Amino acid sequence: MTMNRMTHWLCLVSLLLPFTVIARNVDLATVPERRTVQLTIYNSEDLTLVRESRVVTFKQGVNPLQFSWANTLIDPTSVELRFREPRAGLEVLDTTFPHDKPQTLYWNVQSDANREAIIEISYFTSGISWAADYLAIADADEKSLRLESFVRVKNNSGEDYENAQVRLVVGAINLVEKIAELAKLPVGRVKDELRKGDHRELRQQAARKIMAAPAPASVAMMDMAAGSMQEMDAPKEIIKEGLSEYFIYTIEGTETVPNGWAKRLRSFEVDGVPMTIQYRYRPREYGDQLVRLYLLKNDAGSKLGTTPLPDGVLRVFRANGSDGLNYLATQSLKYIPVGDKIELNLGADPAVIFELIKRKTSRDNLWFQIKGGNLYRKLGEDGMRLELDSQVAGWDEHTVYRQKIRNYSTRPISVQIRREIPGDVVFRSQLNPMLHDFQTVQFETEIAAGGKAELDYELISRQGYNQKQNRVELQSGEVGR
Amino acid sequence: MNWTRLLYPLSVLLVLGVAPFDALARIKLTTLPVRERVEIHLDHAQVTLVEEERIVPLVKGVNQVDFSWANTRIDPDTLVFRILPPPADQPLDAKVLSVSYPPNENALVWAVSANASGTARVRISYVIGGLGKDFHYRATANHDEKTLNLAQYIRVNNNANETYEMAKFETGIGGLWFDKPLGLSETKEVQLNSFTAVPVRKTYSSDPQKFGYLDRAQDKLNVPMHYVIKNAGGSLGKAPLPAGKSRIFQDDGKGGAAFLGEDRGEFTPPDDELTLYLGLARDIAVRRTVDRNERQRIAGNLYRYDVTLKYEIENFKDTPVTLDLTESVRQIRDQIRGDNGRDPEWQLGDGSLRNPDPEKSDGDKLLFHVDLPARAADGQAKKQIQTLRLTLNNEW
Repeated sequence: MTMNRMTHWLCLVSLLLPFTVIARNVDLATVPERRTVQLTIYNSEDLTLVRESRVVTFKQGVNPLQFSWANTLIDPTSVELRFREPRAGLEVLDTTFPHDKPQTLYWNVQSDANREAIIEISYFTSGISWAADYLAIADADEKSLRLESFVRVKNNSGEDYENAQVRLVVGAINLVEKIAELAKLPVGRVKDELRKGDHRELRQQAARKIMAAPAPASVAMMDMAAGSMQEMDAPKEIIKEGLSEYFIYTIEGTETVPNGWAKRLRSFEVDGVPMTIQYRYRPREYGDQLVRLYLLKNDAGSKLGTTPLPDGVLRVFRANGSDGLNYLATQSLKYIPVGDKIELNLGADPAVIFELIKRKTSRDNLWFQIKGGNLYRKLGEDGMRLELDSQVAGWDEHTVYRQKIRNYSTRPISVQIRREIPGDVVFRSQLNPMLHDFQTVQFETEIAAGGKAELDYELISRQGYNQKQNRVELQSGEVGR
Repeated sequence: MNWTRLLYPLSVLLVLGVAPFDALARIKLTTLPVRERVEIHLDHAQVTLVEEERIVPLVKGVNQVDFSWANTRIDPDTLVFRILPPPADQPLDAKVLSVSYPPNENALVWAVSANASGTARVRISYVIGGLGKDFHYRATANHDEKTLNLAQYIRVNNNANETYEMAKFETGIGGLWFDKPLGLSETKEVQLNSFTAVPVRKTYSSDPQKFGYLDRAQDKLNVPMHYVIKNAGGSLGKAPLPAGKSRIFQDDGKGGAAFLGEDRGEFTPPDDELTLYLGLARDIAVRRTVDRNERQRIAGNLYRYDVTLKYEIENFKDTPVTLDLTESVRQIRDQIRGDNGRDPEWQLGDGSLRNPDPEKSDGDKLLFHVDLPARAADGQAKKQIQTLRLTLNNEW
């Protein structure tokens, strides 16, 4: 540990007296060093579980231990002491938080013999975070891409962690559910009544439960210093392991992340991930523009699918065929489960022009409300007279549209259009559309390189008295007849 | 390059086989690989990507490669470090192990592992702020205004606080690149294209909705003039014309060019028209009146309107011109009976204007081309009367 930054430490107070006499001004202490340290970092909550082991020599009887953590972000209520080796013969008698020494606690440990023991201290700290990020580089012909995933660990906890085993927990949203599940509340208490303190305690319980799971076997190799003696150091493997509702990424070997530093490691790297390109008009999702997307899947067929992809920023580039890159887009990737699709929105393509033209409006099927009463008559109906005191109460409004798309790119494109049309509407066309939902029409077309498409459709919107439904009905037919 | 800041933004620490943080000793030796090649990609609409190629000496084992960018607006999250494939006769396998970001510094440290000592060609790519581009045009019409020469320029503005001694710029226009140095706070202007003898149409337009009235009390419409260039044919039409300011000149027939004005041209895809505003034509008078407005009750509160607009047009020029007369049917309906929130249902009647341009008209907009003869030899302009008759059905 870097001495000038060392801020929290454990000392065995070398007084053969219980802690009541520790308040004196002259103290002698020995400082057992950290042997191992393990960090388990959550990526959505500001929460890291630290487990560290130290070797301490106990005498028979009561041994006071002082643990202090000045200028760090440790949650004092979370500090726990356990005896790893030997497990029996040692007992924590009490824990005291002295009023005159902030960020310090004392344990009185009862030992039944003079012995050396490995103790484990665990606690929660904030200030350590991790995040995933991704780099996608499409091939020049845009048939496949290379996807690299990274994890970046940032340490602002106030403490240096040297040679720490680092575990990253994916699935923090599930953690909240897990907490709720674990919430063994006293009878009569409901979830909503959880006080903040309770929540924190439950969160810690849930995290400790995860931590209790054994680390993957391949992580056991704690000392990678010998790695440099090999033929060539390989990037560290990040072992992904599903555990209940969570995914735990364990970074191979140990890492040193000093306070204030961040470190980014490659989580995986896959070349030749197949993808397709689609153009989409979905104003609710992408705004009022036709956007270009790369579509791929997080599955084995796409050389992926070994792990869910945690939330993270994804940057998309395209290789230009001569060692260079072109920047395409940056987007926030939401958690992608194994088997789910990955959609990368590259924004509007200036080589594809998308225009909607309103060509004609007409009205028919006009109904009148006679003299403000309950009597309605249709225009043109037998017996319909030119009533002065009658009002148009319902009509069908026909609007003819032409969706023009021009493709000036050098490749054929596939376009999908979704239009949300509220009201009682007939969508008449020969576009072979489908309903995405009750009021959203979806249709697709392919346009050759340098080609143009003119997609005509007519909306018949039943208004006022004529409106009987609130949904779109598809009708195959000639437009504007 | 700014020598005090960025003399050697990339350095390689010659520390073999140790963890990167051990290398943060006070005494250290670094090699400083220079830029072999720089590419600046301006193809993205908003973002500029810089790629630097450097030859990095590596020793067998783990190497620490520092990269720093003090006082520049490099987005560190976009940094991509790629080791290019080595030449076949010098196989060197190198891999990035990790990246470390020191606190409060615009710097990072790549830990790069190599299987042998040698050099690796690397590409470092990053998005940089403050380095942008814009486009502008110079249009010179010939004396008879039938054709013009259109020069297209790109202007690169360097406010990125960094110097590039020589860089290849990708313009994003028709696959064009250029090589230029770019100094600190410099602006570099390069001509990208010169389109010669481009057919141009000089238009005289009236459109009460878009261009309004010159004199509302006298019902006189504004008649703006435009040069209209179609982005098609010849060397045009291969790529969109990006938006940008155009300065417009006309050959004065005496070896010089008269400045006619300037306009901001909009993004013009192939096959579309670039329209450059030249100012108002004062020699063409268009007086627009609603000549007739009759309504007929169909039933209850349902009416049909019969509307006739009359245009009295005079051309005081001594050359014949064509007037592009545009109307919005909705605006006419709103004018005669108020807006009811519905699109008008209309039919063209038997006025003199009966054949709208099908390409430039739609469900609301009607555009008619009206030929105006030159004024007579005695100097008198002939007043031409045009009428637009519309039936508006199913209005209430």
